[in-house]
Amino acid sequence: MPIDDLAREFLIESQEGLDRMERCLTDLEQRPEDAGLLAEIFRSVHTIKGTTGFLGYRRLEKLAHAGENLLGQLRDGKLAAAPSIITVLLQLLDGLRSILKGIEADGSEGRDSDDVLIARIEQMQVATPPVAGPAPKGRARSKRVKCLPRKKETAVPATELAPNVEAPAPAVPVSTPSVPIAVPVAGPQVNAAESTLRVDVSLLNRMMNLVGELVLARNQVLQATAGDPKMTLLSRRLDMVTADLREAVMKARLQPVSNLFSKMPRLVRDLAHALHRQVRLEMEGQETELDKSLLEAIKDPLTHAVRNALDHGIEPADVRVAAGKEPEGILRLRALQEGSHVLIEVADDGAGISPEKVRAKAIERGLVPANRAGQMTERELLQLIFLPGFSTASAVTNVSGRGVGMDVVRTNVEKIGGKVEIDSRAGKGTTLRLRIPLTLAIIPVLIVRSLSQSFALPQGALSELVHVSEEEGTAAIEWIDRAPLYRLRGHLLPLVFLNRLLEPAAVDAEWSQDRSKQCYIAVLDADGRHFGLVVDGLNDPEEIVVKPLSSALKEIGLYSGATVLGSGELALILDPGSIALRAGVTLANDEDAHPAAEDASASASTGGDFLLVQMAGRRAAVPLGDVLRIEQISASQVEYMGTRPILNFDGHLLPVEDVGGLLQEDRGCPEAGIIVVVCRDGARQVGIVVSHVLDVATGGDLVEAGTGQRTTGVTLLKDSVIAIVDLRQVPDIPVDTPCREAAVGGFAEPAMPGSMELLP
Amino acid sequence: MTRTAGVSVRKAGVPAGAVEVCSIRLGSSVYGVPIRHILEIVGAARPQPVPLAPAFVGGLVHYRGDVLTTVSLRQVLGLPPQAGTQAILILESPDGCFGLLVDSVGEVLTVAAPDIEPNPSTLGDARKGLFVGACKLKHRLMVLLDPTRLDPALLGAAQAA
Repeated sequence: MPIDDLAREFLIESQEGLDRMERCLTDLEQRPEDAGLLAEIFRSVHTIKGTTGFLGYRRLEKLAHAGENLLGQLRDGKLAAAPSIITVLLQLLDGLRSILKGIEADGSEGRDSDDVLIARIEQMQVATPPVAGPAPKGRARSKRVKCLPRKKETAVPATELAPNVEAPAPAVPVSTPSVPIAVPVAGPQVNAAESTLRVDVSLLNRMMNLVGELVLARNQVLQATAGDPKMTLLSRRLDMVTADLREAVMKARLQPVSNLFSKMPRLVRDLAHALHRQVRLEMEGQETELDKSLLEAIKDPLTHAVRNALDHGIEPADVRVAAGKEPEGILRLRALQEGSHVLIEVADDGAGISPEKVRAKAIERGLVPANRAGQMTERELLQLIFLPGFSTASAVTNVSGRGVGMDVVRTNVEKIGGKVEIDSRAGKGTTLRLRIPLTLAIIPVLIVRSLSQSFALPQGALSELVHVSEEEGTAAIEWIDRAPLYRLRGHLLPLVFLNRLLEPAAVDAEWSQDRSKQCYIAVLDADGRHFGLVVDGLNDPEEIVVKPLSSALKEIGLYSGATVLGSGELALILDPGSIALRAGVTLANDEDAHPAAEDASASASTGGDFLLVQMAGRRAAVPLGDVLRIEQISASQVEYMGTRPILNFDGHLLPVEDVGGLLQEDRGCPEAGIIVVVCRDGARQVGIVVSHVLDVATGGDLVEAGTGQRTTGVTLLKDSVIAIVDLRQVPDIPVDTPCREAAVGGFAEPAMPGSMELLP
Repeated sequence: MTRTAGVSVRKAGVPAGAVEVCSIRLGSSVYGVPIRHILEIVGAARPQPVPLAPAFVGGLVHYRGDVLTTVSLRQVLGLPPQAGTQAILILESPDGCFGLLVDSVGEVLTVAAPDIEPNPSTLGDARKGLFVGACKLKHRLMVLLDPTRLDPALLGAAQAA
């Protein structure tokens, strides 16, 4: 039997009602006295019952009716919402859901019998006999209720009218029973219906696709009209409108995380019962919004993470008490937006992950050789739980621990361009962070050149760029047999030549000549694999629209999609993870060799990332978020306005701060190379002269002794206290220069030869 | 995706049992593709090469907001590559659309059913899989192609096997 529009509407409405009911039921367990919750639950079931009778779904009606009777008693205060009743109500919810599912699938209610469930529901009612009232009177009233114009109310059962039996108001009998039901049903729903609209997801997808096309057309128009002053105004407007439209369409696809989080109270409740744990679930940031498809994609990983937290994280009450903790464990779900990402945290205050157990298990499973495992640091050991086939639960339970564990979480999250980070302290708890991009359809990439073609490299995996000039070429890249390496701040970084990877046969012929060409190294961090991708050239960063590839090309494995660039050229999107795998890059094994991964996991909790620089005799820190790029220039390029040093980049002047007095030293020899860190300070750019760029590290919070207040101006980097350069202290250039433009165009400027770009 | 392009080529009043076929040229041979499979013909296209792709892939083209994989008919038939621009037929397939890279596109012919004969038994197996039959034109034969058998997904699977 095919379902018609009316039935479809009913299904959607009922499912929403049941979702609401589920939320309320888990809340009800905390606040059994809350009449509002009970009324809400009653309404959900009541609405279903009312409509099913009308649509002819007998089985659904029967079950809903049984539930409604029980709920009526609860609502009227004749029954207390004991846990056993809530369990039955949850079973009722599941029963209703499964019937609805059947109707959605094939239009029929299915043949299964609900008698057992109905009996159980009735049993609950019998447990406390209803307050006896004069039955005839009640019946008489129910007849009058039927006079109400509201169709839904006609099905109100007699039990529900029972409380009014005692109410001595025969003069206005009609209004009393209906008011608590009718008013809330009508109130908020009517308003929502007026201001909202149901839109088919496929239509939204199509809109998103079209907007993507518009973005492409805009890019092309912008490039074509760049030199024409008459078109500038028009193309700028086109640019703005396109950007706004894109944002609006993207917004239309966003859904609050609460849609996902709302499933969790029930899950946690059921799991807590099954595992005999006491758990309090705290949720935060439910209003955070995420693309619908992404929300769907993280449903499984999140569910899995919650299961893990309960199964492996939070201990049984007696163990917790013995460890000096509250018997009730806390599971905290938190969502927040961080730039172009949404961060979802699953934190428990359980036993944490014991690095020793992980080590032992990893050796036992043969995931790492014993001698290697012995040398691993705690952080590295924690990363092992993401390996396929790893599970620390000593007993395999039916909740989690079937060997498909965290690796599935990681794979699923990385599939949508996200990242998983884990933090755990033995005895204190574990925090799992899922970092999810806001949208899938449009991603920021850097366009790189190789084999005279353009390729798109997702910015998410990119940690920095290194330029190797022609002169340095041979010396900078060192070789062990056929494995090229680069010394990045004193550590060896394995290199992958993109051209050699993509065209093994053709490039081998020009093997020797290849070595001395200038090139760029894109330092990538993909799935914990740290390596440098060598490309011939760099173009601008771009926001691209991802287009899927045909299955024949997907099978190559190195490309995650394709895109059309502003120039109209097509570019394949490289998949850094697969490139690392293909080239045989293994997981980074030296703690210092993957600073990017480390920083990323720590940055959420501490003061952020800093660029550690050496200025003459002292070290200083520059907030990494403010760093636009690092320029290597000769001292003679620095000019002076009075005593103020300034730099001229293509007609854009920026004030230069020379705290260490390095320029004074170099004044004698104008050809001496100096390094200028170009930073963003509000709308302007400033340069800071440094002797060396040392590292990128995450700052730690410092507090003042006694007051406990957080300090400003200094941070803890690599275990020493370092002053943060205050960019605001750099004096302005005293003339009206086009500095603003420089600030806007700064990041999009093509990399200058001899410069190293840092990408935020 | 609409089939407007295909419709626009179609002439009114095709006799029953007849097929409209777009003739394409590859070297000295003439092939035919039924126009109901064709969405659009793109001339003078230069597909973007895809490193490491299977040999039959002629590259990628941008078509109405999608990035399509093209199949090089020369490669599929084992002919040497040809220099210069080629034309692309945008073909419909169950998996989405794909492009067919050919040397040049000729006219649309209306072919009556009796003029079409099945593949000769002496034809090689590989060719039998790709050709539907031969169409007897006045002066020469036109080989009828089955576009569904040229789908890159199918060719890719065949190659893997």
